[in-house]
Amino acid sequence: MKLIVCLDDKGGMAFNRRRQSRDRLLCEDVVRTAGGATLWMHPYSVPLFESLTGDIKACEDYLDAAGKQDVCFCERETVGAYAARIDTVVVYRWNRRYPGDVFFDLDVGAAPWRCVEIGEFVGSSHEKITKEVYVK
Amino acid sequence: MKMKLRMRALSALLCLLMIFSLGCTGCAELLALLPDMEVPGDGAPASVADVDLDEIPPFTTEPYVTVNGNQPKFEEDELVVESYEFYSELDSLGRCGMTVACIGRDLMPTEERGSIGSVKPSGWQTVKYDIVDGKYLYNRCHLIGFQLTGENANTKNLITGTRYLNIEGMLPFENMVADYIKETGNHVLYRVTPVYDGNNLVAHGVQMEGWSVEDNGEGICFNVYCYNNQPGIVIDYATGNSALSEDGLPQTPAVPEGSGGESEESKPNYVLNTNTKKFHDPDCGSVKSMSESSRKDYFGEREALISEGYEPCGSCKP
Repeated sequence: MKLIVCLDDKGGMAFNRRRQSRDRLLCEDVVRTAGGATLWMHPYSVPLFESLTGDIKACEDYLDAAGKQDVCFCERETVGAYAARIDTVVVYRWNRRYPGDVFFDLDVGAAPWRCVEIGEFVGSSHEKITKEVYVK
Repeated sequence: MKMKLRMRALSALLCLLMIFSLGCTGCAELLALLPDMEVPGDGAPASVADVDLDEIPPFTTEPYVTVNGNQPKFEEDELVVESYEFYSELDSLGRCGMTVACIGRDLMPTEERGSIGSVKPSGWQTVKYDIVDGKYLYNRCHLIGFQLTGENANTKNLITGTRYLNIEGMLPFENMVADYIKETGNHVLYRVTPVYDGNNLVAHGVQMEGWSVEDNGEGICFNVYCYNNQPGIVIDYATGNSALSEDGLPQTPAVPEGSGGESEESKPNYVLNTNTKKFHDPDCGSVKSMSESSRKDYFGEREALISEGYEPCGSCKP
């Protein structure tokens, strides 16, 4: 499955059970990245995508529910336990420093991961968002 | 600036109407919110933090700890959706007190930050250590960050804070709040209170509280205590004096600067050559030979410069 996460400069994802940041244009890009695949997420994330069209499904255990061809948008959960099932990781970097108490626990900077795509765009409220795609 | 003043006046009017409508119930709390207005007599807001230093764990490796389960302690009548800002008067020792603001997009700055080098907060000393990022131990720390309310050289909003407090402790929270407001257009109730031990001139730390108003804290909710510490440095909070700690860190002597010296906060992050579109470290040799007409001090972030088409100097590699 393909995993999508948003990280700050220290690999942080969330603080006090809340996402570190949000960006409307980033969410649009997430839907585009999912393509026609099912985009799974926690119910907490759903309001970010309310105005967007896609095959979006939400449940508490979305990482378990997602199939091999599906995409998971992960904001607050650690994913180390699912590493074997993840074949692609899309990382959006805020290029900002935020407080964090949940950190991304997959080291995509080391083997077997390799970066196959990197780009950047201006978000709706962020000056520069970097998008990186990693595959095994 | 006119818009900001207008919002302050509107906010003050709103507060007065609320006081009248409540029959003065909770007057003290509401008076405390009157922005940039004289608060008469006993109506002056408390500038003491809701933090007991005895209950704060000693500083170790984290720049902040949570307080009250990470839940801020705002009163219900503080949760208005109108922007305002309040800065306590300096106390008899010249120390800053509590600052609070309901921050909306209308309070956020539209101009670049200016110099704050003329402000000397209580306990201020200009001192350098090799082990400190940027060398300068102390920054003039905005209690409510410039990116939130655009308050620049406001003496009621600047304390003597370590580089570590400024960058590792406070900045991440300011960033989170600023980006949330920019993205949603919502308001965030935001309070920063310096915490002093007795009559010390330098704060032991700052309590930071934030709560997003329109979504009832769903977006922003925190209550933290940020340590005014610097790893490897021992600080005498009574005076601001400092020394390297004796825990095996490099023993380079502190280099005290002249009393009129600039801090990291008054020194630009970069110096731009608007002619060549290169940016330099302020200490780069090229800066000295740069013509005044081409030189511009820059206090913002590196990435923003690059996005504006500037390139780093190949010599100093900023």
